[in-house]
Amino acid sequence: MAEQIYFEDVNVGDAMPELVKGPLQKLQFVMYAGASGDFNPLHNDDEFAMAVGMKNGVISHGMLVMGVVGQAVTAWIPQKFLKKFGVRFAGMTQKNSTITVSGAVADKRVEGGENIISCDVIAKDENGDVKITGRFEASLPNK
Amino acid sequence: MADLSKAGTEYAPMTWEVERGKIRELAQAIGDPNPVYLDKNAAIQAGYKDTPATPTFLTVPMMWSGQMPAIINDLKINFMMVLHGEEEYEYYQLMYPGDVITGTPKITKMEEKTSKSGSKMDLVSMEVLYTNQRGEKVAKARSLLIERK
Repeated sequence: MAEQIYFEDVNVGDAMPELVKGPLQKLQFVMYAGASGDFNPLHNDDEFAMAVGMKNGVISHGMLVMGVVGQAVTAWIPQKFLKKFGVRFAGMTQKNSTITVSGAVADKRVEGGENIISCDVIAKDENGDVKITGRFEASLPNK
Repeated sequence: MADLSKAGTEYAPMTWEVERGKIRELAQAIGDPNPVYLDKNAAIQAGYKDTPATPTFLTVPMMWSGQMPAIINDLKINFMMVLHGEEEYEYYQLMYPGDVITGTPKITKMEEKTSKSGSKMDLVSMEVLYTNQRGEKVAKARSLLIERK
């Protein structure tokens, strides 16, 4: 489990610990469909996915990749401190992709009595293709 | 093709009970081994009341309640042509097992855009404010959906 993190410990430019996950297999898309309730056949039916132009068959739910980014974020900054988390889906994630999530602290400020950090995050596949860009904000305790 | 006249529509509230098993199931589907999402005792040791809902948990009530597919139908969006463009959450407090949350979806903006390559698409912005059983604000979700035409 992550050690307690304090506002004083985090500085602009600091890197978020990287998370590497994969390969993301079709079984994981099926598990995610069941967990989330998103049964769009694009994520579980290769024939369907190919018929609508996905030459490698099913693709990941965008929200699964956002979930992986969320895993990376909350492995570093506990969820109780998280204030905002937003992403842009930059590209479709093929099955068997390996996703690397990284990030860096972009801003640090005291606002309305809270110690806020903003951190940019990015998720790429093994070819370096960007899947998600995003940002989160957290309110951290003082030492 | 999306019905652009639906901009501003507010949909009926959807109510959903947050369950510990569902929190764990979503974490397991993501492959997140963080014990605070999987085990109540670990969560308590880490300073939580119980296993908190994961950062992207709010996708679960939208999909499993059938609310999201119903909205997509009502907006006359072709489900097969829809892409998820953006998703953003603002968290006002943690959600725990046993919380009963109510989400009220609103279509904040609809517009047609033409990409650099000349293809047309409709952009749909939606906001859902979630409150809990005590009437307190829990979170706000913002989504951007893109319908290719």
